[in-house]
Amino acid sequence: MIAIKHLTHRYDGRDEDAVNDVSLSIAKGERVVILGASGSGKSTLLKCINRLVEPQSGSIEINSEDILKAKKQMSERIRGKIGMIFQNFNLLERETVLANVLNGRLRFNSALRAVFGMFSKQDYHEAEEQLKRVGLEGLSHERVSNLSGGQKQRVAIARALCQKPDVILGDEPVSSLDPKLMKEIMDLITSICIEENITVITCLHFLDFAKKYASRIVGINKGSIVFDGKPGDLTEKDIVEIYGKTRDWYIYGRTGY
Amino acid sequence: MVHLWEDGILKGIIPLSEGWKKYRSFLIGIVIAIIYLWAIRGTETSISNFAKGIPNMVDFVKRMFPPDLSNIGKFLLKAIETLQMAIVGSTIGALIAFPLSFLAARNIMPRKMVYQAIRTLFDIFRGINEIVWGLIYVSMVGLGPFPGVLALATHVCGALGRYFSESIETADPELVNAITATGANKIQVIARGIVPQIKPLFINYSLYYLENNFRAATVLGLVGAGGIGMELITSMRLFKSREVLTILIIMVGTVMLIDRLSAAIRKRVVGIKKIA
Repeated sequence: MIAIKHLTHRYDGRDEDAVNDVSLSIAKGERVVILGASGSGKSTLLKCINRLVEPQSGSIEINSEDILKAKKQMSERIRGKIGMIFQNFNLLERETVLANVLNGRLRFNSALRAVFGMFSKQDYHEAEEQLKRVGLEGLSHERVSNLSGGQKQRVAIARALCQKPDVILGDEPVSSLDPKLMKEIMDLITSICIEENITVITCLHFLDFAKKYASRIVGINKGSIVFDGKPGDLTEKDIVEIYGKTRDWYIYGRTGY
Repeated sequence: MVHLWEDGILKGIIPLSEGWKKYRSFLIGIVIAIIYLWAIRGTETSISNFAKGIPNMVDFVKRMFPPDLSNIGKFLLKAIETLQMAIVGSTIGALIAFPLSFLAARNIMPRKMVYQAIRTLFDIFRGINEIVWGLIYVSMVGLGPFPGVLALATHVCGALGRYFSESIETADPELVNAITATGANKIQVIARGIVPQIKPLFINYSLYYLENNFRAATVLGLVGAGGIGMELITSMRLFKSREVLTILIIMVGTVMLIDRLSAAIRKRVVGIKKIA
C-alpha cells in the first residue's frame, strides 16, 4: 500500500543526506517500527511520507497515488488519509480537547466553515466517539493545558483517528512520557490499529518497544536502511549496526531497559 | 558585567589599538557629553529662561481658578464623542490590519514582494502620527469627528498590522505541521492552527491600542478632527482659562477611567487563561 522508491533528502546547508536512497514497501495492516539513533533520519523519512518534508528525489506511492507528484489539492487529499502523532503532542494548549479533536475533521469540511469553526453534527459525533475510544470520555470541554502528558497524547490519537486514516505515522509518540505511560500509549495505538486494520509506521528510540509492538522493524543508520525484517530476526550484530557504538546504543539499544 | 561592557559593547562602538584601550571609558564619556551640549544648545534649553517664565506661569494658573463649570454638560458630551471616536477608529484599524497582517508574515506569505509591500504600507501608516493623519483627513473630508476616526484607524492599522504580523511569525511551526498533517488546506491551517495560537496576543494589543487611541483622540481636536480637543483649543483661543481647566480635568479623569477599564478587561480576557 505504501511504496517508497529511491527516496533521498538533504536539508539545506548540510553536507550529508538525512535520508539516503531509501526504498521500502509496506503492506496494508503492517506495524512498522523505524529504529535508529538520534539524527539517523528516521523522523525525516516519516515526514516525507505525508510530505511535511519535501524530499529532493524519489517517489512515494500511497494506494498507487504518487503523493510527491500530486498537485496541492490532491496531496492534501492523500495527506488527509494519513494520521500523525508527534512526540510533543502538538495540540493547541489553550483550546478545549474537543476543539483539538475536531481538527481531525477538517478534511471533510470546506475552508469557510473552518474559519468560523463550524462543524457538522456528524463531526461532533465522530469526535466524541474517538474520545471515548481513547479513554477520555467526559473530558471534551476540558482545556488541553490542564491535562497530563498521557492524556494529551490520547487527544492527539483521537485527532488522528477522526481523520478515518488508512495509515498512522508516529513521530516518537512516547518519547516525552514516563515508562508506564509509554506502554499504555503504545498498547492503545497498537490495539486500535489492529482492530481497524490501519497501517502504522512509528519512529522509536527504544529497542524493547520496537520488539514488542512491531510486526516489522526497519533499522536506519545515517539515512540508509541497515536492517529490515521481523523483530525475532534482529541479532546483536544488527543492533550495533543500527545504533553504531554510540551513546544511544548504550541507552536504548540494550535489552532490559 | 564589566566584562560585557568593556569587551562587548565598547569594543563594538570604538575599536581602539592596545595603547588607547585604558582611555576607552573616558573617551566615551566625552562623546556623550558633547552630544548633550549640542542638543541643549540647539533647543535653547536654559534654567534662566525657565526662571524668567515662572511669573507668567503663576499668572496663567491663577487665572484658571476656580474652574468654570457652566458648560460642563457640553464638555462631557464631547468627552463621550472622543471615546466613540476611539472605539470606532480602533475597531476599523484592527479589522483592516488583521487580514493584511497574514500577508505580511514571512511564514505564511512566500512571496517576498507582497510581504515587503504590506510591511512598508504598515510602516507608513504607523510612522505618521495621528495628528498628521488628522490634518490630512480634515482637508479631505472636512472638520468633525469623522476625520478623527479615519486618522486613528490609519495609524492603528499600521501599528497593529506590524504587531499582528510579528506575532504570526512566532507561531509554533510544529503545531502548524500537525494541522497540515490532517489534510487541511492552507486557509484551514491558518484558521485552526495559527489564529488560536496568537489570539490572546491579538486581543491584548487591540485593547492596548483602544486605550492609547483615547489619549490620541483627545488631542486630535486640536487640528479640527472632533472630540474634546476641539473644545480645548477653542477655549484657549478665547482666553477662557477657567474653562480650559474644566476641560483638562475631564480629559485626565476620562483617561484614567479608560485605563482602569481597559486593564480590567484585558485581565479578564487574557490574564485569566494560563499561558502554556
